[in-house]
Amino acid sequence: MNEIKTDILIIGSGAAGLTAGVYAAQLHKKVLVIDKGAVGKSGSTVGAVQMAGLGEWSNPLDDERAYMRDIENSGRGLSDPALAKTLVNDISKRIEDLTSWGLKLDRDKSDQAAVYPTAGHSLPRSISARKGKTGLGILQTLIRKAKTLSENLHTWSDVITLDLVKSSTRVIGAVVFDLKKNKPYVIKAKAVILATGGIGQLYPTTSNPVQSTGDGYSLGLGAGASLIDMEQVQFYPVSLVTPRSVAGLCISFYHYSNLYNTFGERFMETYEPETLENTTRDKLSIAIASEVVAGRGSDHGGVWLDISSQLEKVKKEFLHEFNICMDRGIDLTHGYAEVGPAAHFMMGGVHIDVNTASSVPGLYVAGETAGGLHGGNRLGNNALTECLVFGAKAGINAAWESNNYEDQSTVTAEALSPFATKLLDTMSRSVSGSVKSYQIKQRIQEILGTHVAVLRTDEGLKQAAKQLEAVDDLLDQVEMSTEVNYSRELIDYVEGAHMLRTAKAIVGAALHRKESRGAHFNSDHPSPASNIYHTFVTKENEQVVIHTSPKGEK
Amino acid sequence: MNKLAVKMERQARGVHHFNIEHRDDMTVLDVLEEIYRNHDASVAYRFSCRIGLCATCMMMINGKPGLSCMKRAEPGCDGTMSLAPFLKGNTIRDLVKEV
Repeated sequence: MNEIKTDILIIGSGAAGLTAGVYAAQLHKKVLVIDKGAVGKSGSTVGAVQMAGLGEWSNPLDDERAYMRDIENSGRGLSDPALAKTLVNDISKRIEDLTSWGLKLDRDKSDQAAVYPTAGHSLPRSISARKGKTGLGILQTLIRKAKTLSENLHTWSDVITLDLVKSSTRVIGAVVFDLKKNKPYVIKAKAVILATGGIGQLYPTTSNPVQSTGDGYSLGLGAGASLIDMEQVQFYPVSLVTPRSVAGLCISFYHYSNLYNTFGERFMETYEPETLENTTRDKLSIAIASEVVAGRGSDHGGVWLDISSQLEKVKKEFLHEFNICMDRGIDLTHGYAEVGPAAHFMMGGVHIDVNTASSVPGLYVAGETAGGLHGGNRLGNNALTECLVFGAKAGINAAWESNNYEDQSTVTAEALSPFATKLLDTMSRSVSGSVKSYQIKQRIQEILGTHVAVLRTDEGLKQAAKQLEAVDDLLDQVEMSTEVNYSRELIDYVEGAHMLRTAKAIVGAALHRKESRGAHFNSDHPSPASNIYHTFVTKENEQVVIHTSPKGEK
Repeated sequence: MNKLAVKMERQARGVHHFNIEHRDDMTVLDVLEEIYRNHDASVAYRFSCRIGLCATCMMMINGKPGLSCMKRAEPGCDGTMSLAPFLKGNTIRDLVKEV
């Protein structure tokens, strides 16, 4: 197989991956950033609206301690204090770097950086760029910076990762497939950084882009890393449920709205009398899902949003979302929008330390793919913050590690994992079968959407585990032509395989959390347990293995 | 249900015609998904965010550049919706541009 060598391989080119690339290249390492889509234009960063943080523009009452307290409160006991501390300590420096590279923060009337309030943050600490297209602004800034480092930093679009490659205990690269050339490659690296984003596409309705198929969790598991708290899937509580073309679109201005059930009752008065709609995402999602289950939902399984009293604010701060709604026939100025929870963010992920190192030598993880920072509930606008802080950590630490590691061996076919070998085998020839590859993904979405959404039960989770086992057979029955390049069938097949490994981890972890905490609500165990523990998922012989440990232990 | 006639320029493979089930709220991207799933699995197109931000789904729609995720699917002057790759840059295959 063709072999490519680099010092640092970064998989994923959202805010975390590109930040890692820039900081590693600044330390004069050879960096290769790959993406299965278009570099800098795939993944969830593109759609991120605002970013929380600290800086010279902060509210005078705000500081690292206040910010950290909010993260820990929101995390329902599961947030890792060491990671939270790193986040609040580093973010102001990271934002300064970005602005020095050309990012312009949106300004308020008095020409100061505009600072916005967000649910769950005790003080206003969210900023934005490009009039609320903050993620896009950050990506453009990072791409511009990356171009100044082009001697060391290379990017490669349209190349999908099949599995990581190991030499005894260490990650030494990845086996990838170039969709343009229809050809596999081995990329050898002294350190690998996973920054592949989240899992939204494992569910039927999601705010996430098409690429969010949980590849990084599957790749981490494959390499022997441990996943923490994978049952903690955040549903964005107020997302459009219809029409289908925009189902899952986040209504980022819901903290200004009133929500009603189908009887016209403002139901949040019952669930959260003090904060009403302006509560955290876990509580609001559980409340909405409970209304729907109780038969008080809308025709399409949501509730009703009314924003008519706050239109000026919405148009000013969230114009893009406002325009999409109006364009698709949802008239926010007069009518109601039908809204409900949509899969949004994986708070669990690969277990890392403050330097973003996983338990596997040579493997670093940053951004949404890493777990533990947010615990049971991510605060709004903390996703970009995480990508910047831990992307930089990953780039710097992978660069340091690559100084101390030298390996010139060649990767043989025998060194590839059984998972990669199987995928490569199917992809090397056209196969005839009874299942199309997109149907494998659809089946996983149905299973998780039915049994592993906002409200869960023991029986439902057991069903999901059983049904996912049967999806293994579907992968073997796939029908696919591999004669053309840039084959969507082939992308769906590889993504389906990653989705399945990740889905099993989510369901396994959910079965082991015998309580309700954060985003995980199990109607059979509706209260939090008195002791705080984490779930951990690892893989042995292609089977997921789960255990729980009290907080603070592994 | 109504039908929508679609013609797609596919470089060396020529112009292909599809006749698909049409719902009123369909975007051009929804049409492409429908073609991929139920008509021709070899069709190549690129997209990501589905909300008009990433711009990777840019293509020629009825002769004009547009984002397939944002543009409502409707026939052009000749009664057929025409799709072709965006004019600038190299085309990898079908509607997919090099990035």
